[in-house]
Amino acid sequence: MSSTSHPNVVGATCIDNPEMLSQLVRRCIQQDTPLVDYGRDHDQLGHPPPIPHARLTQTGDILEHHERDMTVRAAAGITIGRLQAVLGARNQFFPIDADDDLTLGEVINHNVYGPLRVGYGAARDLILGLRYVDGEGHQIHVGGRTVKNVAGYDLSRFMVGSFGEMGIVYEATIRTYAIPQIVGATCFTIDDLSALDGQMTTWLKTDAAPTWLAASVQHGKARVNTGYFGRAKACGVQRAALHALVDGLDAASMDMSCDQDFAADIGWRHTWRQWRRSATLLCKLIVPPASTGTACQRLRAWTDDGNGRRLDAMPIHGCIFVGTDEADADVDSLDACVNDLVESLDALRQWHRRPPNAPTVPPFAPPQPDWPMLQRLKTAMDPHGLFNPGRMLETLRETS
Amino acid sequence: MPTLHPVVDELCAAVGNDAVISDPDQLLVYECDGFPIARGMPVAVVFPTSTEQVSACVKTLNRHKLQIVPRGSGTGLAGGAVAYETGVIIATSRMNQIEAIDLENRCAVVQPGVRNLALTDALAGTGLHYSPDPSSQRASSIGGNASTNAGGINTLKYGVTTNHLLGLEMVLPDGEILRTRAGARCEGLGADLPGLICGHEGTFGIITKIWCRLVPRPGHLRTVYAIFENNYGACKTVSDVIAGGIVPTSMEMMDAAMIKIIEGAFHVGFPEDAGAVLLIEIDGIDQILDEQLEQILALARANGARDVEGCSDPARRDQLWSARKKAFGAIGRVSHSYCTQDACVPRSMLPEVMEEVGRIADRHGIAVTNVFHAGDGNIHPILLFDEDDPKQVQQTLAASQEILEHCIDIGGTLTGEHGVGVEKLHLMHRMFTQETIHAFKTIKATFDPDLCINDAKKIPSDRTFVELVRPVAANVPGGAL
Repeated sequence: MSSTSHPNVVGATCIDNPEMLSQLVRRCIQQDTPLVDYGRDHDQLGHPPPIPHARLTQTGDILEHHERDMTVRAAAGITIGRLQAVLGARNQFFPIDADDDLTLGEVINHNVYGPLRVGYGAARDLILGLRYVDGEGHQIHVGGRTVKNVAGYDLSRFMVGSFGEMGIVYEATIRTYAIPQIVGATCFTIDDLSALDGQMTTWLKTDAAPTWLAASVQHGKARVNTGYFGRAKACGVQRAALHALVDGLDAASMDMSCDQDFAADIGWRHTWRQWRRSATLLCKLIVPPASTGTACQRLRAWTDDGNGRRLDAMPIHGCIFVGTDEADADVDSLDACVNDLVESLDALRQWHRRPPNAPTVPPFAPPQPDWPMLQRLKTAMDPHGLFNPGRMLETLRETS
Repeated sequence: MPTLHPVVDELCAAVGNDAVISDPDQLLVYECDGFPIARGMPVAVVFPTSTEQVSACVKTLNRHKLQIVPRGSGTGLAGGAVAYETGVIIATSRMNQIEAIDLENRCAVVQPGVRNLALTDALAGTGLHYSPDPSSQRASSIGGNASTNAGGINTLKYGVTTNHLLGLEMVLPDGEILRTRAGARCEGLGADLPGLICGHEGTFGIITKIWCRLVPRPGHLRTVYAIFENNYGACKTVSDVIAGGIVPTSMEMMDAAMIKIIEGAFHVGFPEDAGAVLLIEIDGIDQILDEQLEQILALARANGARDVEGCSDPARRDQLWSARKKAFGAIGRVSHSYCTQDACVPRSMLPEVMEEVGRIADRHGIAVTNVFHAGDGNIHPILLFDEDDPKQVQQTLAASQEILEHCIDIGGTLTGEHGVGVEKLHLMHRMFTQETIHAFKTIKATFDPDLCINDAKKIPSDRTFVELVRPVAANVPGGAL
């Protein structure tokens, strides 16, 4: 999805090298023009950019692939599809669930992750180093190529999930992993997802601990899919272990259990999340992991009430996406469900997409105790207020 | 009779008389941490037991314009807890309560003085543990681990402290209490502030609470022991194993010199003519481990291993790992003093780096031995010398400097897990550009605009210059000179 939702762009620049980026930042300082990059799939996340602004996109490619070390340094503008293709030719992959057209920079800025987080972690666990341009146009190099590194402050991790407000990331060094020989895939249906809430820790301690796990609710049905990466014998043992656990659950039954190849596995998760790209209404919730099933069950009051409504969840990390592609989505009732979870389950909320005519609510809620410190750091790192100004930290003005 | 600084009375009022040390004889214990070359006598040491007390102490020290020096258990290896320029140490060792354990959400809330191993011990029988395992874990505190982003032997598979941090509470240098992402949730809204604070080495504030991620204990294990004629075959085996899709929990190497030292002390059965010993441990599903074990053994043989052994017997495993863990203890038989360095290099460069370390040591006439976390590329060259010989001391310092410079120049880092502290401040400009150092100072100034907490640690200071005391040796790991 292109960034057509932000009008009043005074210019759009495509950058493919850090010198150009530094020069662009200095020009924007002189012209007092904010520089905006919300990414391809997050263009409605956060407060809208100021009027006017300049839009930035980045392109780029792999800069260094250290195959034996299983690290790669790449431009932030490289697409995930290109990155995975190059790595795949060397039997390696970057274990983040992200669509092919997203850039590495967008993945970092928005902490994009999916069910693979169970086995491999999120971006903060896979980044070894970053290069970014700061609010004065200087090129900053932090982290490096090594798996362990405690020299200097960890600005690499700090940038993950920063919504592009602290600096413009233009390069990243990331860890890669070997492509598994086979993937053991399972799918089971369950009447009540809240039955899983007390199970995840137990499952993780057994042979059934998955490499990835995803839940979904659509058309009134709740399903849980898992994947086990490894060799055929291992995957067989793990699938059998999960089967035994599912048999012990009330109102749950195993629908599918087989081995598949890595490409099919990637393809499944791509299909699983595709509805979000065209959703007219999309909210991300973060809950304590052991409350994921309960939260999903409460949201079913909304999802079960419309054909195009859907819910995806990653119970081991407490992440839920809920929304719909309906043109006239019932925003108010979803708002009410979501706000109820924010209050009763200590959930965090991000509105990724809302219809233009929906009443305005804060895109991020509730206000977090560390936002004032984040604002101070933003002011220090971006003193001219150039980078996606007001996207998230704007919220402070509403709460102070 | 020394005159007590006027701050002492106010600190006593804040935390109680029995929580303040100001007697010079007692303060001697706190003049250094695990890096004894860096020494400074604090004005006082105070032991708060709550976040509010920490805040009160910080405000008191601010009023008196005294440098605040956080300290956990004092096991740090880079001088980060040393009090320079009339500093007062705020030691969190008495904040040692495990406040909550939430097994369903796999999260524990601890005060900073809780010892690393104490949390795992408290989880006995639950099937979960706290994964970061620095070798100091019996003594080091979780607050200190978070402050330095401590690693350990199992970091190859399970990560370092920052990978097991869900949130932090910290008292800022003005006494304000900051909370980041408190709770069991696995992410927050906005930039990763716990990620930034982890590893700050006490230069942003004093950590007063940690939300720790708990993970399942490794279940079944297999241990591989391989003997090589040289470092090259062992290092290549390390890379081949990981490239083959196996991620061991740990991969440790010892070179020829260390093998002789350990064998001479403990007679564990290492062949004294071996070039290198590689210890690898894997965990996972029992039915699969034997297959992985065979794969690793085959790779070791293909890379020239003279002898290989794979085992699942806990007693044999303990024996093998005991040899590794006793390495530093064995050095005392062969050398008056030793200096351990800590650098991290790309794994594929290990053979080259090991050779260069040897050449550097030879050039300076210093004996060196190596034991290191091969899977991470985290090397610990151990330089052997006589502290009473000033020439050897100078040679050791010069050799240490060259080793770290070489590691930086080939794309590594000057510290993989011990931290910068004061020990490696002088190398920060070789590692980072001027602009990056300035960015670090900007971050530091955001938390600590008056530079009143741990100034001149971690990053160079514009205001304070630390000159390390010339060598006074002590036989402890981490650069004791």
